[in-house]
Amino acid sequence: MVIIALGFSMAIMISIPAGILASQESYNSIISNMQEETNRTATLIEVSTSSGRGGFSGMPSGTSSGTPPFGFEREEVFINETIVGEIRTIEGIKDIVEFFETSSEETTSETISTPRGDFTMSRPVYTIMGVSLNSSLIDSYSVLPTDIIVGRNLQEGDTGVVLITSNITDYYEVGLGDEIEIYGESFTIVGIYEPESESSTASREVYMSISDAQIITGNTGNVSRLDVYAENDSYVEEIADVIETYSEAYDLGLYVTTYNDRMETYQTMLNNAESTLSQTQTVAFQEIVIAIGATSLIVLFTMLYTVRERTKEIGVLKAIGFSKGNVMSQFMLEGIMISLIAGVVGVVIGIVGAPLISSLLLPSVNQLSPQQGGFSGQAINFGTALSQSVTVSPDLQTVLLAFGAVVLLGAIGSLYPAWRASRTSPMEALRYE
Amino acid sequence: MSNVVLETENLEKVYELGRRKINALSEVNLRINKGDFISIMGPSGSGKTTLLNMLGCLDRPTKGKVILDDVDVTKVPEKSLCKFRKYKIGFIFQTFNLLPYLSAIENVELPMEGTKKSKSERRKRAHELLEIVGLSTREEHKPLRLSAGEQQRVAIARALANNPAIILADEPTGNLDIKTMFEIVRLLGRLNVTQETTIIMVTHDSHVAARAGRMLFLSDGKLLKKERKGMHLVKGDLTCPNCHKEIQPDDDFCRRCGKQL
Repeated sequence: MVIIALGFSMAIMISIPAGILASQESYNSIISNMQEETNRTATLIEVSTSSGRGGFSGMPSGTSSGTPPFGFEREEVFINETIVGEIRTIEGIKDIVEFFETSSEETTSETISTPRGDFTMSRPVYTIMGVSLNSSLIDSYSVLPTDIIVGRNLQEGDTGVVLITSNITDYYEVGLGDEIEIYGESFTIVGIYEPESESSTASREVYMSISDAQIITGNTGNVSRLDVYAENDSYVEEIADVIETYSEAYDLGLYVTTYNDRMETYQTMLNNAESTLSQTQTVAFQEIVIAIGATSLIVLFTMLYTVRERTKEIGVLKAIGFSKGNVMSQFMLEGIMISLIAGVVGVVIGIVGAPLISSLLLPSVNQLSPQQGGFSGQAINFGTALSQSVTVSPDLQTVLLAFGAVVLLGAIGSLYPAWRASRTSPMEALRYE
Repeated sequence: MSNVVLETENLEKVYELGRRKINALSEVNLRINKGDFISIMGPSGSGKTTLLNMLGCLDRPTKGKVILDDVDVTKVPEKSLCKFRKYKIGFIFQTFNLLPYLSAIENVELPMEGTKKSKSERRKRAHELLEIVGLSTREEHKPLRLSAGEQQRVAIARALANNPAIILADEPTGNLDIKTMFEIVRLLGRLNVTQETTIIMVTHDSHVAARAGRMLFLSDGKLLKKERKGMHLVKGDLTCPNCHKEIQPDDDFCRRCGKQL
């Protein structure tokens, strides 16, 4: 009983710092991801038909509001090529990279745990990314994934072939050179790439040429996203304004994001993440203090009880010649032994239960995890294999520190009881029943 | 060195209960020689246990001296008293007071902890002692798996561990049935003869008390003048009290007349 209680306190001591470390790591990865995206280029204007695109995929807090979605009933809106043609005529544009992005036909259902309960939802298995395979664009801008594991990247003139993330090959159990059926058409896998980050949509995309994607989905002439590159920084805001004016005039509902917009979002999210992190740290600190307090109190009361319970034994020990010091060290040793055993139990509970404990005690850790953020786009995970969350795994240093703390607290907690035991009068103790 | 092991001079103990003063012991003069087997009798409340606590360095008298092996222990500071308890005195209790989680042999080894004896020496000594009290086959048993009589034997072995100058037994037979009661008293008597152990036994049972060599009587905290010779046989006096045939210290019955000893 006592040992288990102590074990739990210690598990808390292990898990909390682990949780903090993990959230810090997650925070850092979010920051660096965002930084990367923000800095992609100052001349980039992203034009898309839905708010979730173009900005950051997977946002901590902030964008998540309202009830969680139960499924993807988002209507897909596209930009017609005539409009793209119009945008091309705007002064100061250097290049436009067209994307056609849509969900797979196939859906998978998944249960998501949220603070408001579990929701089962169905979502597409993957996202089809149709990209313009114009070699000058491919070379100049980050259009295609770069981290190819096997096979080759897409190149100009490719048709009927796909570049696919390793997550989906696992899901479908297919490999390089295999055929995969998309919207009723067969595609050959020419390359498999490692997703850049575990987060959100990037982890399950199928890249193909934009015309293939348009044809199989019957969307010839439509695009879903444009990366508009300005000649230089000075044109950026102007171009964005013009596109927005178009959008309003033709009621296109386009979302236009510039470097400044991205900077702003980035800043907001940075602040959010920072405040979440600092809140988490405060909570963690309080919890550790409570755990420490609880540990010493548990030992204190247990040992007091033990000393009381064994008054007679203390009397016997003294009668047969044990000195105060002997008795004191006897009980100290016992308290420390209990904490040692508890420590071992705690390490086991802590290592096994750290993710659970820290998620229970540090709810904000989960908020930091990108998956919980906006359900923007398809930023929701995909089975457990692809699940991305803060991974809480206690490191050796934390474990040893907590172990040491528990033993030390055990010693401190048994100090008073042991002292009391040593002061017991043998005569009275022997009379005690 | 004199033959006197333990001596008290005008021992007095007064308990204060609020304003009332209770004279638990007064003017106790006791002289115990090496190799004595003494029983102290008296009704409850007569001060038997108080006296034993005084003699056993568990309590300090209000007045008077307790001289143990030529040292006045009433003058010994509290810190050093545990040494006296450890090396000079062996306690036997009515309720045995063995440590339940230690085996018989570990209980016997307990008083030797912190002495100069090595671990193997302690084990050897504990083994010898358990053999003397007739429990060599039950060394590894925990007290709860031993009968009451066996537990008291373990306690006796424990009391002997450091070869004390004197054994103080407080109602050693109080929790035993008649048969084991006499077994234990006989064991004490035998130890007194074979090991030359000095024993003071407090009891309110006259049959038990009568097994000692000398019977003292305590009443209202005072030692009575009358003193009786018990039927305990000492060396050179090993004859049956009934038929006077010579007997061995280990005998349970007289071989001639069959009297239980």
